Amino acid sequence: MSTIEHPTNYRKYLDPKTLARIASLDLRARLIVEGLMTGMHRSPYQGISVEFAQHRPYVQGDDIRHIDWKVYGKTDKIYLKQYLEETNLHLICIVDASESMGYGSVGDKDAIWTKYDHATAIAASMSYMAIQQQDSVGLAIFDNELKRFFKPSNSPGQWKIITHELCLIPRLKKTNTGRILDQLAEKLNHRSLVVLLSDFFDDIESIKKGLRHLRYKKHEVMAFQILDPLEIEFPFEDVTLFKGLEEMGELLTEPRALRDGYLEQLRLATERLKKLCRGMHVDFTRMNTADALDVSLSGFLATRAASIK
Amino acid sequence: MSFITPVFFWAGAALISIPLIIHFLNRRRFKLVQWAAMEYLLQALRKNRRRIKFEQILLLTTRCLILALLGLALARPLGCSESSLANLMGSKSGLHVFVIDNSYSMAYEADRQGARTHFDQAKLLVKQQIEKLVAGGESVAIIAAARPKLGEDGAPQSQLVFRSSFNLDGARSAVDGIEQSYNGTDIAGALQLAAAVAKEEQKQPQKFLYILTDCTRSAWENNQGDQLKQIGRELAGQFGSRVRINDLSKPGQWNYGVLDIKPDGSLVTTNFHTDFLADIKGFGAGGETLVQWQWDNTPLEGGTTLKPDTGTQLQRQTKVDTTKAGGGPHVMTVSLTGDEKLKIDNTRSRVFEVAAELKVLIIEGERGTSLLSGSGAFLDLALAPKKEITPQGKVRSDSYVAPEVISDLELGNKVLNDYRAVILSNVASLSPAQADQVQKFVEAGGTFMTFMGEQVNPDQYNALLLPRKLLPGKLVARKTTPDPKGFTLDFKPNAPLHPVLNIFRGEENSGLDTAPIYTYYQVEVAPDAKAEVVLNFVAGDKETNDPAITIHPMGRGRVVMVATTANGEWNNLPPKPAYVALIHELLAGTVDVGDKWMNLTVGQPMEIPAGLKLTGPPVLTDPLKKPIPVDAIQPKSGSMFYRSKPLEKPGVYLLNTGSSVIPIAVNVPADEADIRALPPDSIRKALGDIEMQFFGDNVPAYALSRDDSNDLGWSVMAIVLALVAAECFMAMTFGHYRRSSVRRVQPAMPAA
Repeated sequence: MSTIEHPTNYRKYLDPKTLARIASLDLRARLIVEGLMTGMHRSPYQGISVEFAQHRPYVQGDDIRHIDWKVYGKTDKIYLKQYLEETNLHLICIVDASESMGYGSVGDKDAIWTKYDHATAIAASMSYMAIQQQDSVGLAIFDNELKRFFKPSNSPGQWKIITHELCLIPRLKKTNTGRILDQLAEKLNHRSLVVLLSDFFDDIESIKKGLRHLRYKKHEVMAFQILDPLEIEFPFEDVTLFKGLEEMGELLTEPRALRDGYLEQLRLATERLKKLCRGMHVDFTRMNTADALDVSLSGFLATRAASIK
Repeated sequence: MSFITPVFFWAGAALISIPLIIHFLNRRRFKLVQWAAMEYLLQALRKNRRRIKFEQILLLTTRCLILALLGLALARPLGCSESSLANLMGSKSGLHVFVIDNSYSMAYEADRQGARTHFDQAKLLVKQQIEKLVAGGESVAIIAAARPKLGEDGAPQSQLVFRSSFNLDGARSAVDGIEQSYNGTDIAGALQLAAAVAKEEQKQPQKFLYILTDCTRSAWENNQGDQLKQIGRELAGQFGSRVRINDLSKPGQWNYGVLDIKPDGSLVTTNFHTDFLADIKGFGAGGETLVQWQWDNTPLEGGTTLKPDTGTQLQRQTKVDTTKAGGGPHVMTVSLTGDEKLKIDNTRSRVFEVAAELKVLIIEGERGTSLLSGSGAFLDLALAPKKEITPQGKVRSDSYVAPEVISDLELGNKVLNDYRAVILSNVASLSPAQADQVQKFVEAGGTFMTFMGEQVNPDQYNALLLPRKLLPGKLVARKTTPDPKGFTLDFKPNAPLHPVLNIFRGEENSGLDTAPIYTYYQVEVAPDAKAEVVLNFVAGDKETNDPAITIHPMGRGRVVMVATTANGEWNNLPPKPAYVALIHELLAGTVDVGDKWMNLTVGQPMEIPAGLKLTGPPVLTDPLKKPIPVDAIQPKSGSMFYRSKPLEKPGVYLLNTGSSVIPIAVNVPADEADIRALPPDSIRKALGDIEMQFFGDNVPAYALSRDDSNDLGWSVMAIVLALVAAECFMAMTFGHYRRSSVRRVQPAMPAA
């Protein structure tokens, strides 16, 4: 009797519900990246490096800017030049570890996928991809103060350190994003790609200050606002006592009556944040913790590639 | 404002608390959610606090209002003046009881447009008013005020011709179905029934009583004064001030009527010439009328023209020679001819049984007496004084009474039904079988007379005759006085007298008041005996209250008891000039001459007496020769007899017994003839001065417009429905019923 082996379906590992069951963050990150890469026709990495790697035949749809005309002149065949990524990219993942990031509704009772889980998965995945390309990766974790900061490094052990730190940070305090960004801007001497992962439930003016400081230091900034689906939809119906995280007090109300008002406030805040980012050339992406991570990451990579070109 | 079902109003008021309770319970039963985006929530609350509060109050108020108004709608509020807007939306409710007087006085021909008589107008008015009622909300009951008909079983049928119902078409049909009665008014019975109907309809707080009558004296001014006052109080309790009378009488309406025909004496016999008297009265100012007499459908001379009034005007008819008329039933008819509007009572007929002889059985209790020594012989002589002895040795008498004297030992051999009266004179006692025989005889219409004497055994009388009601009471003691003046009778010639003593009225020398009586039996009259005392004994100047002569009814016959002897043994009456007349009058005044069953009032059934000989099944025909069913009735005890259904129309009916044809006279009741209308105050007074409204003979204005009985239940219900719709709309608008497309997920608590 023969058995048929099916190829591993990596996409299933991109679902937050699945990832929530995987305790190890490094394993999560690997699965995310592998799942992301599987089935791609073109590597998103190629084209953003400067060191030549190889030639390959032209196929329809390839960017003609990469055609090696010299080879064409000699052989009368169209080849593309491919490069390896340069290792001078510094990726700094700044992860909000405040109490509000601990909120989550996705997943099962035993394995809840919080906003912080989502942020750490993204941070770990990006770090993994960067290290794979010999880039330097740094990490900052904060709540109302900078809890951890690791300078960028491309050593193979860096990723292990990062994933380990992301797993340990407790989340009990208020957030103070603006001040932290200020501090980081002072600490980062090398131009870096700063990835900010937060729910941005903070004072917008202080965030603005921090971002402006980072941009002033010529850092490339990508802001990911991570929200839970309940925060986006606000589907509550019965009378509910909302107990605010980060010392925000309590509110007993009939949520049906407040729903429109809440969604409006959320929309306004998001719009302000988007406008702020747009004004400072900061990439802003709102992420739903219920969405698969590959969508978020591929969107990020595509945006990134487009900006480099 | 009042309510049909006030309990719902209070229930609705109590239900108001439910939304409030739910509201507060909901605030206690909340879910706990840890929430990160609290700032946005608080901002939303700060911005919308007023709106949310307003929406919540609005919704809560609406919900409370819905329940309160639902209770109000179910309570069916009544009210609103005629001009109010709510009145336009209100639907009427209430019970409307119509009492229609259909007695024969309502047959007065008023010649209104579309209604010939008062009765036609009454029906028209009732139908017009019913048409104004609202189907489904207002119920109607209809009562006829004429004396009730008798049913097949002889019991009076209900005057309620239409039981309380919302079926207005049925009510109109019932009004059409009411017939003009030839009977009198029973306004007390009808109003009592109206009160009972209203009492049954407790759910209808608004009750209206409409009395459509000609307000005649005969209906409202009779002997039911106290009863009417009592009924008036009941009506006020049930209907309040909503008692409305339509007075259908015409101003100055008048009526003449023949109220009675009677012989000028106690009996009509072939032995004597008898004059007849007609009682003709006039009520109201009318013209002259011609009185006409007929004897067996043959007009008689002596018709007169007169203008009757309310005083007694007995018209005498002397032209009938009863000595030549022959025995048996004969019909005397008196009619009035004039331009009257109420003709029903203008003709009256009466059947007279002209007696050839009146057979009387005298039972002598004293044995071995010689002629004229026994009391029975005295009675024999008194009833049929001897005129001559024929060559054949027979005694002849001019008396219409044919007495037969027998010993008490012979009583068992006699058939009592062959006699009109049986007299016990100084009889010691009867056997139980004989007592039963006499009891049946009296119940069938015979007259039973008892005279006391030495032979009488009071214990036996009390044991045998008293239980069979053949005595007015217990024989208590025998009273004797040694005074030579003795006891006397309390006869006062100029004082009110018992009818049987009418011929002695004003007779100072009759001897009734002076004849000494030495011995008598004291009788303790039983309260339930219904005995009439004709004369009492007097001891010197003192009233004894011991009855000397009593008469009491039993079945269809009568019982006469004389507490002393029929001869001179205990008294000195026989020599007195009044003695013979007294015995005759006692007999004539109590004996059933046998024509009662042939003279009926409208509504009574005809019953053929058991003694009447029938050679075939009896056939009764009405004045139009239409046969009337006569049924054989077998009572539980006693012998079978024939009875017709109640005879509803006046006139002379004919009963064919197979061998003879007997006339049966059916007349309208005389007491309905007085059609003079009473003023409203008198009617109000008759009903105990209760609050009531009087209207004329047209549909009153109140019936043509909606009044204060509007039922706003459905209007309020419409508001409730509108509020429910508004509540749904508001709840949807305020987001209370909006469902999220996202499945509900219990948010996680943040990890520590």
